Amino acid sequence: MVEIEFARTYAAPRELVWDAWTDPDQMAQWWGPRGVTTPRESIEVDLRPGGRIRFEMVDDATGARYPNSGTVLEVDPPSRLVYADDGFPDGTGKGTATVTFTAVDERTTTLRVHIVADFDETVRAGAERGWGSQLDKLAGYLAPA
Amino acid sequence: MTPVATPDPLSVTFGALADPTRRAILARLAESDASVNELAALVPAISLQAVSKHLQVLERAGLVTRGRVSRQRPAHLRAEPIAEATAWLARYRRFYEESLDRLGEHLSRLQGS
Repeated sequence: MVEIEFARTYAAPRELVWDAWTDPDQMAQWWGPRGVTTPRESIEVDLRPGGRIRFEMVDDATGARYPNSGTVLEVDPPSRLVYADDGFPDGTGKGTATVTFTAVDERTTTLRVHIVADFDETVRAGAERGWGSQLDKLAGYLAPA
Repeated sequence: MTPVATPDPLSVTFGALADPTRRAILARLAESDASVNELAALVPAISLQAVSKHLQVLERAGLVTRGRVSRQRPAHLRAEPIAEATAWLARYRRFYEESLDRLGEHLSRLQGS
């Protein structure tokens, strides 16, 4: 198990950030890395404990589709959402994400995504896919924080 | 190459990396193999015994192998566990960083700014 946290502060009220994260109409407008689209019709969000989350990311360049899914564990609008991510289709990325929305003031929100990832699965899947030795990344990784 | 007998190899990797002396040892070994004496010279006021212990941790994590031929048993970096960890982390980080950037752009558009 390895923990990773991402944090951003946005110039937007907390409710707006919550809606952007949880409303399928809005998710379709931003979810995924650059070069990827998440079509509205692929998104289902059942926002209650035990509810399922599903969506498909589509690579704009190749059209390749990447289905993703998860299960809602805790939901407390507009401040906290916890879900278990089923991971990527290649078997990596399984884990639990805790998303917190903190109002800095009425127009400013800090979003934190805290992920506890199941690296065991990730390594196994990575080994199957033949991720090779990448010494170029070693120097960056070893640089003292 | 024998896998480390543990349910979570990457946690072992990250655990071994969570020490500045061990990271210094690995960074040195990324340049070339080195003996315990040479590695001890890296860190002021560290004993040979301490360096040997750090090397044992790195060996258990599969990050270092020791030579069998020379009496000095030079340590050799084995980068595969780090490569697996960093390759995946890099992909995962990119996914989230870019998504969060796009969320920021979306929120700006929503508010007409």
